[in-house]
Amino acid sequence: MKKIKWMIMTLAIVFSVCAAFATRPKLAGDGQLYHMLSNGAFIAAGTFGVDYFCPDSPNTCTYTFDGAHYWPYMSGDYTPIQ
Amino acid sequence: MFKKQVLIECVSSLLIMLFMYASVSKFLDFKMFTGEINNQPLPNSWTPFLVWFIPCSEIAISLLLLFERTRLAGFYVSLVLMSVFTIYAGLILFHVFPYIPCSCGGVIRKLTWPQHLALNLFYVILSILGIILQRRKHFKPIFITKNSFV
Repeated sequence: MKKIKWMIMTLAIVFSVCAAFATRPKLAGDGQLYHMLSNGAFIAAGTFGVDYFCPDSPNTCTYTFDGAHYWPYMSGDYTPIQ
Repeated sequence: MFKKQVLIECVSSLLIMLFMYASVSKFLDFKMFTGEINNQPLPNSWTPFLVWFIPCSEIAISLLLLFERTRLAGFYVSLVLMSVFTIYAGLILFHVFPYIPCSCGGVIRKLTWPQHLALNLFYVILSILGIILQRRKHFKPIFITKNSFV
């Protein structure tokens, strides 16, 4: 019984830690620049949670740039933090 | 008895999986997590406390659930934490706060707020089930006979 118990617990911990690494957002990270759309032009958005936040809405809050295109990244309404 | 023990282990494992996944995810992308806490309709002065308290308490609950002696305490703390998260999700859905924060990426984070509420309720029920099973396991009925008072 003890062996089964420790096997279940070990599997649970290993699975959850691996899942956390596997589902880590790839686009987010240090140095990643995000943009927001302002009057038809893309400008730097700043740091999420410091310069702005994104209350829920169907709009696109910020975009990422891959060198050729701007892609929607985070949903919501771009709201600067005062 | 054996089936009850296996059920307790399964309930504990599910809770450990949730809390370990949540806490490791937060530490792996700490900057993003800090931003998400700032994104919540809570005072930003709470952020330095919350960004450490939430993942550390999740790890602590996982450790409590791991060992037989502390498992009941782990179930109770899990119930408290999941209840707080559930009430918070409920308050957001009932528009108690001035705005609804975005879900902002990740697996659990990709859930909508109603889905979050349902998931939290599931784990609240799981914690209650764990408490009931663990308490029954340690309950020993006392049979009073004529000789008990001799």
